[in-house]
Amino acid sequence: MLITMASMSPSKTQGQTLLLRSPLLHSSNFKTHVFAFLTNNKRSQSASLKIGVVSKLKTITQKEKETPISRKIILSEGKVPTLSEKEEVSTKSQKKTEEIPVMGLLKKMPRKIITALANLPLAIGEMSTIAALMAIGTAIDQGEAPDYYFQMYPEDSPLYGIFSWRWILSLGFDHMFSSPVFLGMLILLAASLMACTYTTQIPLVKVARRWSFLNSAEVIKKQEFTDSLPKASVQDLGVILMGAGYEVFLKGPSLYAFKGLAGRFAPIGVHIAMLLIMVGGTLSASGSFRGSVTVPQGLNFVMGDVLAPNGFISNPTKAFNTEVHVNKFSMDYYDSGEVSQYHTDLSLYDLNGKEVMRKTISVNDPLRYEGITIYQTDWSISALQILKDNEGPFNIAMAPLKLNGGDKKLFGTFLPVGDTDSPNVKGMYVSVFYLLHHFPILAYEPRSMLARDLQSIVLYDLEGKFAGVRRPNSKIPIDIDGIKITIVDAIGSSGLDLKTDPGVPVVYAGFGALMLTTCISYLSHSQIWALQDGTTVIIGGKTNRAKIEFPEEMDRLLDQVPEIVNSSSLQKSFDSL
Amino acid sequence: MIFFTLEHILTHISFSIISIVITIYLMTLLVHEIVGLADSSEKGMLVTFFCITGLLVTRWIFSGHLPLSNLYESFMFLSWSFSIIQMVPYFSNHKNNLSAITAPSAIFTQGFATSGLLTEMHQSTILVPALQSQWLMMHVSMMILSYAALLCGSLLSVALLVITFRKNINIFYKSTNFLIGIGTFSFGEILYVNERINFLQNTSFLLFRNYHRHQLIQQLDRWSYRVISLGFIFLTIGILSGAVWANEAWGSYWSWDPKETWAFITWTIFAIYLHTRTNKNLQGTNSAIVASIGFLIIWVCYFGVNLLGVGLHSYGSFTLTSN
Repeated sequence: MLITMASMSPSKTQGQTLLLRSPLLHSSNFKTHVFAFLTNNKRSQSASLKIGVVSKLKTITQKEKETPISRKIILSEGKVPTLSEKEEVSTKSQKKTEEIPVMGLLKKMPRKIITALANLPLAIGEMSTIAALMAIGTAIDQGEAPDYYFQMYPEDSPLYGIFSWRWILSLGFDHMFSSPVFLGMLILLAASLMACTYTTQIPLVKVARRWSFLNSAEVIKKQEFTDSLPKASVQDLGVILMGAGYEVFLKGPSLYAFKGLAGRFAPIGVHIAMLLIMVGGTLSASGSFRGSVTVPQGLNFVMGDVLAPNGFISNPTKAFNTEVHVNKFSMDYYDSGEVSQYHTDLSLYDLNGKEVMRKTISVNDPLRYEGITIYQTDWSISALQILKDNEGPFNIAMAPLKLNGGDKKLFGTFLPVGDTDSPNVKGMYVSVFYLLHHFPILAYEPRSMLARDLQSIVLYDLEGKFAGVRRPNSKIPIDIDGIKITIVDAIGSSGLDLKTDPGVPVVYAGFGALMLTTCISYLSHSQIWALQDGTTVIIGGKTNRAKIEFPEEMDRLLDQVPEIVNSSSLQKSFDSL
Repeated sequence: MIFFTLEHILTHISFSIISIVITIYLMTLLVHEIVGLADSSEKGMLVTFFCITGLLVTRWIFSGHLPLSNLYESFMFLSWSFSIIQMVPYFSNHKNNLSAITAPSAIFTQGFATSGLLTEMHQSTILVPALQSQWLMMHVSMMILSYAALLCGSLLSVALLVITFRKNINIFYKSTNFLIGIGTFSFGEILYVNERINFLQNTSFLLFRNYHRHQLIQQLDRWSYRVISLGFIFLTIGILSGAVWANEAWGSYWSWDPKETWAFITWTIFAIYLHTRTNKNLQGTNSAIVASIGFLIIWVCYFGVNLLGVGLHSYGSFTLTSN
C-alpha cells in the first residue's frame, strides 16, 4: 500500500511518504513521540512537528533546500506539489489550448473589462437575452418580404401597444438569426465565455489542484460531512478509500484523499467547446457554398454552376469543375403506396471526362467528393412518356400543381388532342378543386393526367370526369373518347442540394468535445481529510456536486473500516506509523 | 390484430397500476399508513415499467422501426423514461421522494397519450425517408430521456418553491416517518415522503418543523440539481446528435428550425440554471425559479412546436388531422 501511495505522490511528498517505512521511524526516540501524541491531543501537534523535523532531514538532500520545509508541513495550506505526472501533462495541454486564443486577445484589454465580462449575472443576462431573442425569432415569421410585416404588424394597431413593423424591420427581427442584435449578443457571450474561463475557472482549478492535509480536528469537523471512527486506523481507511477509487495521500496521522478532479476541469472544456462551435459556425457562415438543382434523369450539370458562394471568404476549388450525371432517379414504396425512399444514381466526371466516382444517394446517405456534398432533398416528375394510338412515344412535360399543405405532391399535364385550332388547346386553363379528402380533381380539362408519384397516373376525360388510373410500365392502354393512350414511363427528376462547408470539421470537433466535457462535468470532486486522534479517526469531507450521494458513499465506506480490537494489532498499526 | 390487443392490454394494465400507486400515495398521506402498501407501490411502479417496456417492444416488433415516429409513441416513451428515472434510485437503494414526482408525471403523459385527443395517432405510422436513419434511435431517445429528466428535476424545483413560499404546511406525525403534503398545483398532487426517522420528536414542534422543512428543501434542491444535470447531459447529446443527423439528411447541421431553436432555448435555460448553482447567492430559490421557467419551456419545445406543426420537425404533428 505504501509503495503505491509513494508512487502517486511525487517530489517532496514522495520523500515524506517514503519516510513512513524508513528505518528512522523505528528508532526508539520516535516511538516515544508517537505514543506521546496518542495520549494527548495538544502534544500530537508536537509529534507531527517532530515528523516534520525528521522529514526535513530527509528532504534537505532533495532539491528545494531553501524553502523552510517544517513550516510547510504544519501549515499545509502552503505550496503543495503537483499530484502526478499525468495530471501535470493534462493541465498543461489544457492551459495551452486555452491560452493561445485567449491570452493574446485578453492581454491587450484592460483588466477591468475582463472582470466585467466574467461577471456571472452579466453572463446569465446574456444567455437570457439570447434565449428571448430566439423565442421572438420563432414567433415572428422569418424571411418574408417587407409587405408581409406591414400587413401583420400594422403601425396603427401595434402588438402589445408598441410592437409594430417599424421595430421589426429596424432591429432586423425579420431575419433574427443573422440580425446584428442577435449576432452581437453571441459575440458578447463568446467574450464572456473567454473572460470567465480566464479569470474564474482556471484559478478555481488551480486551487482545487492544490491539496493539503488538515492537521486540526476542529477544521476537519467543520466540513460538510464529518464522522469519527473509534478504534480505527487511518491506514485502513486509506486502503478502503483507494479501493473506492480515491487518490490517497498519507502523512503521519493525516490523510488526504480526493476523487473526480476531472469534474473540476470539465467546465473549462465545455467553454472551449462552445467557443469551438462558435468559430466553426462563423467559418460555415462565411466560407461555404450552397446550391440546389432539379435535374431530370439522364441529364448532367457542372457543380460550379450550381454552387453559389455564401460568405466573403468562399473560395472555389478544383472540384467545382466536376460534372455530375444523373443516371437514374427512382423511388421505393411501402405496401400502402407511401414513398419509403428516394434514390439517385450519380456519376461524377472530371474535366477529362473520366468517371471519378459513382454512388447511389438517398435521403440520409449523401455523396461526398473532395469537400463537396450532394444531398437528396427533393424530387419531381419532369415528363410523361406516352403512346397515342400506338404512335410515339411522345414526351409530355409535367408541371407541379400547387397544393396547400401536406407533404404530397401533385403534377399535372394535359394532352393536346384533335383540332389544334380548338380554343381548348390554346387556353391551358387549369383549375384545381380540393375536396374534403384532399383529393384533387382537375376539372374542365380535357384529357389531363395527374400524377401523385411515379406509381400512379390518374387520367380525366374531356368533360373532366375521371377516366382511370394507370401505372407506368403496365402497358395497358386506356381509351379516352376514342383515343388509345398508353403510358410508357414517368420520367422523374431529382432534387439535389450541393454544399461545401469548411466549418463542419471544426463544429464536429466542438460537438465531440462538448459531449465529452458535459458528461465529465457530472463527476463530483470529492475531498476527504482524516486525522488519527488517539485510537479515533476523525473524518471530514466535502464534494461539489454529488451532495446527496456523497454522504451515503461515505457511510458505506466507513462501515468497512475494520475495528482494531486487541492491543497487539494496535501496537502494530502504530509501529507502521 | 393480436398486436392491437396486446398493446391495449399492456396500456390498460400500466395505466391502472399507476392509478393505484397514486391512490396509495394519497392514502398514506390522508389516512394512516398501512403496512406493506408503500412497498407494494414500489412494486407497482416496477410492474408499470415492464408493462410500458412490453408495449414499446411489441410496437417495435410489429412496426419494424423504433417506436418513436409520432407523438403518441413519444409520449409513451416519455412515460417509460419517467419510470426508468424512478427505477434508478430504487435499485441503487437511495431513499428518495422522486417517485412522488415520476409516478404522477408518468400517468399524466400516458393518460394524455391514450386519451381521445390523439386516437388518430395510435396507429404506428410509416417512416418518411428523412427518418430512416440510425440516428433516429440516438437522437429521439436521448431527447425524450432528457425531457423526462429535466421535467422531473424542474418539478422538484417547483415543489421547492411551493414549500418555500407556503406558510401553512401540513405535517402528519407518524411513528416511523412523516409526510408532507403540499397542495395541488398544475401538475397534480405531489406528495413527499420523508422516511427519515425523526430523532427530534422530543424537541418543540416548531423547531422540529423548521428543521425538517429546511432539510426537505435542501434535499429537494440537491435532488433537482442532480437530476437536471443528468437531463442536461442527455439534452446536449440529443441536440448534438440531431445536428449531426441534420447534416446528413437536410444538408446543414443547424437551420434554425423552430424545434431546434426551442431545444436550444431549453438548453440555454438549463445552462443558466447550472450557472446559478455555481454562485452561493443565487442558489436555492433563484435557481429553482429558473428551473420552473425551464419546466414551461420544455413543454413549449416538446409539445407546443409540434402543435403548430411548423418547420422541418413536423413529423407526428396535428396538422394532418386538422386540415
